[in-house]
Amino acid sequence: MTNRIKEFRVKLGMTQEELAKKVNVRRETIVFLEKNKYNPSLRLAFDLAKTLEISVEDLFSFDDEK
Amino acid sequence: MKRIILMAAVILMVAATLYLWFSNSGFANGEGLYLGIIVLVLVFAVFLLVRRIKSWKAGEPQEDELTKKVMVRTAALSYYISLYLWVFLLYMQDRVTFDKDRLIGIGIVGMAIIFALSWVFNHFRGVSND
Repeated sequence: MTNRIKEFRVKLGMTQEELAKKVNVRRETIVFLEKNKYNPSLRLAFDLAKTLEISVEDLFSFDDEK
Repeated sequence: MKRIILMAAVILMVAATLYLWFSNSGFANGEGLYLGIIVLVLVFAVFLLVRRIKSWKAGEPQEDELTKKVMVRTAALSYYISLYLWVFLLYMQDRVTFDKDRLIGIGIVGMAIIFALSWVFNHFRGVSND
């Protein structure tokens, strides 16, 4: 699964820290998410999408990993 | 905040015990190594404590879903590896003369080291594909 969190965050002029506070996680978690080293829970995914003002489908894309 | 106080109390107790132990009995043969290992584990605990205090000061949650997942994976991995450590120690017990106390001490310190290393591994690797 890949995401475009960084792209939309930068578009909104938000820092990682600000985004972390808005979705109630640690800044570290945002760092891992942006590096695609962590797949968020459904709740966090929806919170991120809402905060970044886009849909979940636009924020995350799933490629079947075999 | 409660967890920070609890963690600080545990670190202080371990440090105090260590100080009393070595100030009363001094260093016997090979005990310097034990001291070094326990100090390393303590340093790791202090590192975790400092992280928590920083998060608390920054207004971040001290734990979130990623830190919880890292902890769960760390616990699972360190438990698995610790089983092998104990099997190895039991195997060695028949071949090398160990005091029972020393054997248990090595096992417990070994488990602490394995836990710390597993945490470092999981923390820097991230938790992907869940």
